[in-house]
Amino acid sequence: MSDSLTEFKLTQVSWPGLERSLALVTIDNGADHTKPTVFGRSAFESLGRILGELEGADWAALVITGKPYFFSAGADLEEFSMRADPDQAREGSRTGHELFGRIRNLPYPTLAAINGACLGGGVELALHCDARTISTAVRHFACPECLLGIVPGWGGTQLVPRLVGAETAIEFVVENPLRQNRMLDGRRAHELGFADRLFEPAEFVDESIGYAVELATGPPEPGPGVGPPDKSVVDVLHQARDRLDDTVHGAAPAPYRALDLIEGALSGWTLEEGYEAEEDAIADLLPSPQARASLYAFDLVERRARKRPSLGAEARALTRVGIVGAGLMATQLATLFLRRLELPLVIADVDEQALERARGAIEGELAGLVAKGRYDEGKARFLASLVLTTTGREEFAGCELVLEAVFEELGLKRTVFAELEAVVAPSCVLATNTSALSVTAMAEGLEHPERIVGMHFFNPVALLPLVEVVRGRRTDDETAATAVELATKLGKRPVLVQDAPAFVVNRILTRLLSVVLTALERGNSIEETDEAILRLGLPMAPSVLLQLVGPRVALHVLETLHDAYPDRFALSQTLANYADGRQEIAVVDESPLSQDEILETALAAIADEIRYLLDEGVVPEAADVDTALILGAGFPFWLGGITKHLDQLGISERMAS
Amino acid sequence: MRELREVYYVDGVRSAFGRAGPKGIFWRTRADDIAVKLVRELLRRNESLPSERIDDVIFAATAQVGDQGLTLGRDVALLAGLPRTVPGFAVDRMCAGALTAITTGAGEIAMGAADVILAGGVEHMGRHPMLEDVDYNPRFVAERLIDPSAATMGQTAENLHDRFPQLTKDDADAYAVRSHHRLADAWQNGVMRETVVPMSVFTEDGWREADTDEFLRGDTSLEAIRDLPTPFRPGGRVTAGNSAGLTDGATVSLLASERAAAELGLEPTLRLVSFAFAGVEPELMGLGPVPATNKVLEQAGMTVDEIDAFELNEPFAVQVLSWCDGTGVSPDDERLNPYGGAIACGHPLAATGVRLVAQLAYAMRERPSARYGLTALCVGMGMGAALLWERV
Repeated sequence: MSDSLTEFKLTQVSWPGLERSLALVTIDNGADHTKPTVFGRSAFESLGRILGELEGADWAALVITGKPYFFSAGADLEEFSMRADPDQAREGSRTGHELFGRIRNLPYPTLAAINGACLGGGVELALHCDARTISTAVRHFACPECLLGIVPGWGGTQLVPRLVGAETAIEFVVENPLRQNRMLDGRRAHELGFADRLFEPAEFVDESIGYAVELATGPPEPGPGVGPPDKSVVDVLHQARDRLDDTVHGAAPAPYRALDLIEGALSGWTLEEGYEAEEDAIADLLPSPQARASLYAFDLVERRARKRPSLGAEARALTRVGIVGAGLMATQLATLFLRRLELPLVIADVDEQALERARGAIEGELAGLVAKGRYDEGKARFLASLVLTTTGREEFAGCELVLEAVFEELGLKRTVFAELEAVVAPSCVLATNTSALSVTAMAEGLEHPERIVGMHFFNPVALLPLVEVVRGRRTDDETAATAVELATKLGKRPVLVQDAPAFVVNRILTRLLSVVLTALERGNSIEETDEAILRLGLPMAPSVLLQLVGPRVALHVLETLHDAYPDRFALSQTLANYADGRQEIAVVDESPLSQDEILETALAAIADEIRYLLDEGVVPEAADVDTALILGAGFPFWLGGITKHLDQLGISERMAS
Repeated sequence: MRELREVYYVDGVRSAFGRAGPKGIFWRTRADDIAVKLVRELLRRNESLPSERIDDVIFAATAQVGDQGLTLGRDVALLAGLPRTVPGFAVDRMCAGALTAITTGAGEIAMGAADVILAGGVEHMGRHPMLEDVDYNPRFVAERLIDPSAATMGQTAENLHDRFPQLTKDDADAYAVRSHHRLADAWQNGVMRETVVPMSVFTEDGWREADTDEFLRGDTSLEAIRDLPTPFRPGGRVTAGNSAGLTDGATVSLLASERAAAELGLEPTLRLVSFAFAGVEPELMGLGPVPATNKVLEQAGMTVDEIDAFELNEPFAVQVLSWCDGTGVSPDDERLNPYGGAIACGHPLAATGVRLVAQLAYAMRERPSARYGLTALCVGMGMGAALLWERV
């Protein structure tokens, strides 16, 4: 991110009605939209120089704006993450406070014209101006620092609440980052009070200058402003802390610290006191293991996982696709295929009623999208017309890819594939959504086993982006490439995995589940085991996850893993009971563990399983395991997936020795 | 109070329409050279018009580059040997180029700024494919100002089928086959021989005569086109069989004021009654002629039933069907495109307009009871054009 250096460029503008010139500053790095402008050391040096000129002359006003598409993407994360010790971290925060504080102290009106993506430090710079305009084209306005294990460290925690009030500040600084990094668009930011004027993109800079001129030549019209709060700040903060406990369970310090800073801002701190408190926070947080892990996870998910694996083969073009199975998962997949690919889609099932339900669900979804204005009726009609349901197999002729999502039984899946082979071309990719069966075994006995591949989607399909693309022993490169390309076209994030029982995510989760089941069978209560694991800050308690996945599916996966690795995956009578519909824990002996012990055992087990998984070559690197857990199981950034956390605790080392 | 003057269409000619690309008859011919030939022929057909009496030469082209780019009207005037005192200019409204050249020239005549105008169009799609040198403003995508399907004409045709599911592929194919049959007849029985100007062109095989429309398949049938691939969408409805092909060609028309026609012994065939342009959703550009038609009828205080002849462009059969759906004129109506259309002869984008007017003039002549005629077409990026004429 720091190849093209970000600079602040100053030009003079004469405008009718102004006696003195207006200063127009652009944040630019001379590169196109693929390289966002960021604030690193050299950007701040440039800002320092410009401030000399801004302070040294009698300007009518200052307008700061960005290059096309970006106001600024905030701090240079690469540089910032290298500040590993508290003093360096503190200095990084202090420098921003000083520089932005100087903008705030300029004696003439200052305006930030937010023309494009505005993140983190970009927002903070804008807040140090007297006023802000924002463009309707802006789709990324946010302070994501809490997602990265830190807090806004350049005044954001102090200025946001002063501007927009406690509730909005908490949503913006604390809660949005933890909700899949939700961001505001220009219109919403203006509605909430972050900006005083909302302008269309076509003449954005001219209109912003015009507004700055208004500010310079007359008393400002009041902006939309923020109404009086409905609840007291104390109440708002109390409720926010409760909500945070529910989501994070104390596993990450940054959002709690952000709440403290917001509270301070609204309790009478001067800005200088607020700056100092931010500097303390950054000094504590940036070197912390959670921030280290979050920055690692962010890099994994934003950069590493977006690189296409080079497979040495081209993906096959798709003109017709099919799905075998019309159950709930298959229907979700059908809708996804239809909307993203817009290709003829064949859906097969033995049960006519299931097919009708599937079609109904798909058409219902399309109708909903028409009602929301996302599709026009003609488009929805066209998409619906692409769906062909059948109880047979002939209709799959001409497909270049068919995904089976039938009942988890090897014999049944083999039969389905054999039936499809009779109808489709030898090069048609036959993919399986199996969660635990062997892709290699599924390909045995087929005429063209090399075109079998696993494409394991995660439930709910609309929320979890991971697809485990599983190469069986005979899967060829072109098939793998086609599966990867399809996953990408579907808006998913493919991770290549070698065929092994339960692949990556389910294998790790099941190992975790085994520890929990053992504890239950030793007399621990469900509350105790849930609480122990939730302390990691996982998105849901093990008992809830088990409900979501379904005990029968979980049992099937456990049995598969037990067959392969009996020493590490013991069968569980408790799980068998759950699968039978009986909520009976099969207590073996009364020697319950403490919550600490439960957690330690769980982490050690996970580390152990990952070691075996990597040794087997299921995925090449620990980073791939982390990516899968983040994208497929919602593991939080502050654990860095999981291996960063295990490294930090020294568990990885202990397990390796 | 200034009086506006009437505008008359006197005559119009076109080149043969060739297939764009290396296999087409015009592959090695410059676009401006085709236009030059037509201008000279038009003047020969109207010998009583001294060329120095031409007040403006207006040529349209979509791709204003290369051999279509040097302010075509002026360039062509000089190359055709018109006196230097005759000015000229170029116009672009994509498919409605020639019609816009006509309306622009009509404005000059109506205002008294001109008495005699040459107005036409040229498109060499072989040398200048659609979207050549086009640099879309990134705001279109960034601000979602238009639907991406608007950029591909075939996609807009598929969108029409989506919007109007009652307009089926079978209907489109049937219309397309009829267009070819009618054009074949029109070549047999006169209108094409009258309006098409053959010319010698240089090709790989040496000099040849460009004297036929290369896309014409007089023997086509429903069976022949039914299973053609649908390049714009898998399992779509729009095929090469029910669309106009990419074409090279040119046209030019002669417009005059009443006084000039009288003075110079010209014989006008049509009077321009009214004209209109309209905008529609870019991704449904085929709908354009419907509001344009309505506007033009409203201006003239008339209804569509009072129109005796229609010449509608045919970039896609579904587009014609959607105009029929929108105006209430049946696709089988004998008033509509009796001599076939673009599906059979091709559609050199900016040039097409004058072909429509020339065929309309011929139709009015053939039917003495016909009084009013309409030429209309759709335009990429979502527009429509309609010109209402009255026989003279």
